[in-house]
Amino acid sequence: MEISRIQLLKRFKSLAFVALTFGFVGLTNFTKAQGEALFKSKCATCHQTHKNSTGPKLFQVRDKWAAGGAKEGSIIKWVNNWQNAVAVDPYAAEVSKWSPTAMSAFPDLKAEEIISIFDWIDAQPDPAAATTGGPTDPNAPPLDPMEEEGSVGWIWIVMGVIFIVVILAVGGVRRQLNIATSDNPEHQEKLTYGEELRTIAWKYRLWVGLASLVTVIAVIVTLFQGLYRINIMEDYQPSQPIAFPHDRHAGVNGIDCKYCHNSVTKSKSAGIPSVNVCMNCHKQINGEGKPFAGEIKKIYAAAGWDVSSGAGRYTGKTKPIVWNKVHVLPDHVYFNHSQHIVVGGVDCKQCHGDMKVMNEAAKVQPVSELNKIEGNIQLTKPTLTMGWCIECHGKKDVKIGDGKNAYYDEIHRRLKKDPALYKKYYQDGKVSVSELGGWECAKCHY
Amino acid sequence: MTRKYWKGLEELKETPEFIKHKEQEFPNQQTVEEFLSDEKLAETSTARRDFLKFLGFSVAAATLAACEAPVTKVVPYVIKPENVTPGMPTWYTSTYYDGNSYASILVKTREARPIFVKGNKDFGFTKGGVNAQIVASVLGLYDSERLSSPTAGGTNASWSSIDKAISSAIQSAKSVTLLTNTIISPSVKRAIAEMSVSLNGENGSKFQHIQYDAVSYAGMREANLANFGARVIPSYDFSKAKTIVSVDADFLNTWLLATEFTGQYAATRNPDAAWMSKHIQFETVLSVTGSNADYRGMIKPSEQAAVLAYIIKGLGGNAGISAELNAAAKAIADEAIKALKKSKNESLVVSGSNNIGVQQLTNKLNDLLKAYGTTIDLANPVNLFQSEDAKVSKLVKDVVAGAGPDVLLMMDVNPAYTLPNGDAFAKGLKKIKTSVAISSYADETASLCSYVCPGFHALESWGDFEAKASEYALAQPTIRPLGEATASALESLLVWNGKAVRGGKDSSVAYDYIQATFAAKFPMADFAMAIHNSVMPQVLAPSTLVYADAKIATLPKSAEWEVSFYQKAGIGTGAHANNPWLQELPDPITKVTWDNYITMNPVEMTAKGFVTTYDQEHGLNLTTVKVNGKSVTLPVYPLPGQAPKTIGIALGYGRGANGEKIGKAAFQTKEYGGYELNEAGNRKPIGANVYAMVSNGATFEYAAAVTVGASEGVYPIAATQIHHTVMGRYSIVRETTLDIYQNNDRSAFNPPHTLQKLDEHGNHVEAPVSEFDLWDAHPIEKVGHRWGMSIDLSSCIGCGTCLIACQSENNVPVVGKDEVRRGREMHWLRIDRYFASDEEAAVGTRKDKETFSFDKAELAAENPKVLHMPMMCHHCNHAPCETVCPVAATTHSNEGLNQMAYNRCIGTRYCANNCPYKVRRFNWFNYPSYKKVTEVNPAQDDLGRMVLNPDVTVRTRGVMEKCSLCVQRIQSTKLVAKKEAREIVDGEFATACSDSCPTNAITVGDWNDLKSVIRTKSEATRAYQALEEVGVKPNVWYQVKVRNEKNDLLSKLQVEAHHGGNNKHH
Repeated sequence: MEISRIQLLKRFKSLAFVALTFGFVGLTNFTKAQGEALFKSKCATCHQTHKNSTGPKLFQVRDKWAAGGAKEGSIIKWVNNWQNAVAVDPYAAEVSKWSPTAMSAFPDLKAEEIISIFDWIDAQPDPAAATTGGPTDPNAPPLDPMEEEGSVGWIWIVMGVIFIVVILAVGGVRRQLNIATSDNPEHQEKLTYGEELRTIAWKYRLWVGLASLVTVIAVIVTLFQGLYRINIMEDYQPSQPIAFPHDRHAGVNGIDCKYCHNSVTKSKSAGIPSVNVCMNCHKQINGEGKPFAGEIKKIYAAAGWDVSSGAGRYTGKTKPIVWNKVHVLPDHVYFNHSQHIVVGGVDCKQCHGDMKVMNEAAKVQPVSELNKIEGNIQLTKPTLTMGWCIECHGKKDVKIGDGKNAYYDEIHRRLKKDPALYKKYYQDGKVSVSELGGWECAKCHY
Repeated sequence: MTRKYWKGLEELKETPEFIKHKEQEFPNQQTVEEFLSDEKLAETSTARRDFLKFLGFSVAAATLAACEAPVTKVVPYVIKPENVTPGMPTWYTSTYYDGNSYASILVKTREARPIFVKGNKDFGFTKGGVNAQIVASVLGLYDSERLSSPTAGGTNASWSSIDKAISSAIQSAKSVTLLTNTIISPSVKRAIAEMSVSLNGENGSKFQHIQYDAVSYAGMREANLANFGARVIPSYDFSKAKTIVSVDADFLNTWLLATEFTGQYAATRNPDAAWMSKHIQFETVLSVTGSNADYRGMIKPSEQAAVLAYIIKGLGGNAGISAELNAAAKAIADEAIKALKKSKNESLVVSGSNNIGVQQLTNKLNDLLKAYGTTIDLANPVNLFQSEDAKVSKLVKDVVAGAGPDVLLMMDVNPAYTLPNGDAFAKGLKKIKTSVAISSYADETASLCSYVCPGFHALESWGDFEAKASEYALAQPTIRPLGEATASALESLLVWNGKAVRGGKDSSVAYDYIQATFAAKFPMADFAMAIHNSVMPQVLAPSTLVYADAKIATLPKSAEWEVSFYQKAGIGTGAHANNPWLQELPDPITKVTWDNYITMNPVEMTAKGFVTTYDQEHGLNLTTVKVNGKSVTLPVYPLPGQAPKTIGIALGYGRGANGEKIGKAAFQTKEYGGYELNEAGNRKPIGANVYAMVSNGATFEYAAAVTVGASEGVYPIAATQIHHTVMGRYSIVRETTLDIYQNNDRSAFNPPHTLQKLDEHGNHVEAPVSEFDLWDAHPIEKVGHRWGMSIDLSSCIGCGTCLIACQSENNVPVVGKDEVRRGREMHWLRIDRYFASDEEAAVGTRKDKETFSFDKAELAAENPKVLHMPMMCHHCNHAPCETVCPVAATTHSNEGLNQMAYNRCIGTRYCANNCPYKVRRFNWFNYPSYKKVTEVNPAQDDLGRMVLNPDVTVRTRGVMEKCSLCVQRIQSTKLVAKKEAREIVDGEFATACSDSCPTNAITVGDWNDLKSVIRTKSEATRAYQALEEVGVKPNVWYQVKVRNEKNDLLSKLQVEAHHGGNNKHH
């Protein structure tokens, strides 16, 4: 689908880019505005910059308030606690009628922090205007900033090619001029341009040789690095038929992951919730009048829930929802969720990231993000690769013989019969998953 | 050990072809040059240049395709059923009955599709016993040629129009006949009785119901009618029989209730129990049962009566007929008399004949022994096989003559195929006004009927059964019917009789009716609980039947050459001929796949000028045999143990001779895929139908006089017999007698392998092989688990159920006849069948090297001892395969498993070359897509693919595979224990093979668990490891085969050699 193609293209582009511009330092901007961070952590759950969602769009909201006759600084008050603002400013009271859903209070935010948020928001371009100017697909995933970097790569390639052509052309012109101005006609017949280049190359063979060697090694290294990235699912984020906000469900409403993904403790698959699970709540919560009402209607269509008549009824005409699988393992890999959750005591977010704050379609979290999760073992290999599994199995310890799980107690008892091996196992003070066989092929491949 | 064991005459005689091929486990038939110069190559659709083009293109395509991550869709339930957890199996109790086999079963479903069938060990009198056909039945469910809609005149029609037409035809007809297989369902019986009442009224004769089985047991019922006054078949209890005499009854394979008998029999074959039964078999064709017998006599079919008469005479009775026997059979009969005299009423005599007279003699003998009341229970009659041969013959005569009933309803029968005069019947059938077939396929009979009404598969339908008077059993559906418009047969009968209305795909008509039957039978019982257990016990009234002598009915006449028709373990009556698993199941005795043949003793074959050896390039001779003017041409297979002057031909072949749609795998395929077609353009059937040769007297008799023609050319045979030969290592099977086992220590019957070593004084001493080691030991004896397996060769009957269970569990591909012929079968588990002769004195040494001749050994092979040995990966702790893998694709786990990482394998096949057990299999092709196996491999069919086990990878081309000891089950067992925070209970883990073994010959478990059964078994005196002397330290143990026989030569070799100090065992 589109997403994977874009990602692939992106990967290919960056590969080519890196290959041809070896030695150049990529343009990366590590400075992040404080406002952006705050917006994303505090506001983005309900607000968008250029579009109304749960809350109204925030682009140039200060100007709007000023134009509407709001008092100076009341918007800051509003953010800290909207009720305080309503109390003192009639415009704020007007604004509070925008939606029945009340805004959360953010008393911790300082005035300059709030201003930094608004500054950042006002600096954002309108994505709709940037494309066709027409309405955009609300389901389209947000554009990846990497896209931009990729196009920069092409410019570099083109510039590099032009540069080489220009140098060669200039050299050719210079040569022609030399020949024209030369007193020695023999020289003219003796060497063609190519031969001349070869002569020069031979003259400076050490440098040319070194340069070629460096180029060849660079190309090979980048090629291999690129090949190793093929089919790595990190950052994979397919579009979904329903724009499901994990942050709303798991974050705002505090629903436990296991309520919907309820086979996670029983089965190898965590399970995509069946529509009847959605209907447990959405029979009541229909999102009427909300921008996401259309999404909930899709659930009703799937469940065959007819809301047109009174309290609603099931028509029996169901239509399964076809989701795009996010975490895809190859067929030859056996992975069991219940093993990790129930026996290993792993929390969902340790591998999937904190879904409570994820307001976009679910994606495979890059390992750098996962490393930020509290209590996570710091891993280096990309998420969902075998290296990632192996790394964790090598580092993670298993509590055996602590009397909490009779299965492992028995394993511990047996191990103690072989003191030498026991000592070897406990050399680093723990028994890792790999020492119990977690690195063996047939644990995951059969 | 003590005899020379060989798998075929080729090995015994060491023919040049055999010597050549035993060196090559993976025979390269042709060189590349030969291949490319092959003229036939041009006929294939891929020419060499195209091939190169494709090669170039596919490399490029593969490179590009590898870059693209396909989007995987995931579709959750809309409303998830409460008891289904995606990713977890759900088990259902049920009951299997197909008119021939019966068993209480458990069905494993994944995401609501059945994927595995095994016996129910907790409930039902079959006690977990199943056969290969039952385990394979799950594949039959996903056959895409099953009818999905009713047809009228060959075109699809709606139920409403068909029901209307049939109902009115029944009402207006003068005569209505319902021809069914044996009905053991109380509900269907009730529905038929209702139909009879409504059509016949008080005493009308418009409607009649006739039961007809493909293979009839009417002879038994008629004999019992004569002797006891009731047309019954009693229950047999082999577990109480200290002496078992079987006259041509293959009770461990197909006879009567084999699923029950195998377990009972195995219980009496334990040499460590208080007593061990003595089993004496008289038979024509070497059968599975005969191969397990302690004594086996070879007789012609016509000699059965004489054998019984001889034994009756020996026990002091008088049969009133001649008791003349050939000398060899007489010696065995004397053994039988001796044993029967000793065991008295704890004896059991059974006969597989369908001749009334022979069965009367059997009754007489059992009465003489007073077996009625001990091993035979008349109070608990068996309801299976109620075929009424006389009525059937009358009906067939009428139909052929054009005087058949106005309406002929047929249900789960295929008379056009199974009748001796099926052709004539087929012609007559067309003259019948209204013919209706309730059948899953438009088979030989149904395709000729006016209406075909497809019923449900056994796994799709509700059902109730009364296989024996003592037990009522239920079957529940395990999947929503796959067909668009199929319907329960019970519902159809009710609808046509106006008792019910069609309920559509999710109809509850049959369910309600069965529940009503249940409620009437057990007013106090809970239906849900009954379904949970699948069975309800029933109280029996004591039998009032008393034996009375009767005039012996006509006995079979003898002829110079006689033929015996028998059923094979896989194909049976032919109902499952479309099941590729069963077609590819090597026959337990001949090891032939995908074919039908004539069995003949090699001695006779040599006399008649037939070749007696074959291999992948050299086929067997074809010949034509004639019975009553009917003839078939089939290859002649050399079967040691076949009675002289007899031949045997299996029933159940030649299905779909007119190209009927009975399943994709039921037909012959070409070398490069596609079907072989006959002159009429129809698909060619596999083998030939010999039902046409069955004698049609008072009952159908499965033997006849025959004339055997001369050799007519050569026919290729795909047998696994001589593949994967274990080279020159005869210590692989060990056998002893009960007497030696009980009176001697281990060194006599199970000596350890020893090597010389220096002791502390510098003297040479013998030490067991286990003390010598080239490598460091894997640390598996203290760490966690060490999974092991023990196979009791005394219990293993060689039936092949484990092989099919393994295939079902582990997604083992079907490769087709041509690939099997080339030695490329993929079965992870094979059952080696060894024939024994007494011509060798000890392992690898001949009794007398100077005078030994192979010709003599061949003579002894005329009636050899047989030994079955399941062979699969031994998970060696010093695995030779692991050390030679250049990419470490096969490694050892700390639980003692030899692991195979398919995605790492590059297919060098070094491992297979280095495996002493020859248990590794190479994926020569991409079986899920290769056109050569499109017709036979269910994984190439959208529906057939549903049978695959989602927990096991489907392997691709170019990788090795082998038994994993069902590692998916090990992992799941461990996980369940971990999640419940408890230790693993011994017996909790079972492999597919151990799970399905009807005789419990296979034990698996954690060897590190000191109290486990596997630990005990591995330390038993009978325990040995195959090829222990190689030093690979396998995790599989065998238990020495013990036969309850007197064997002086073996005794001399094992006991005297041992005490005589000749104690060199290398």
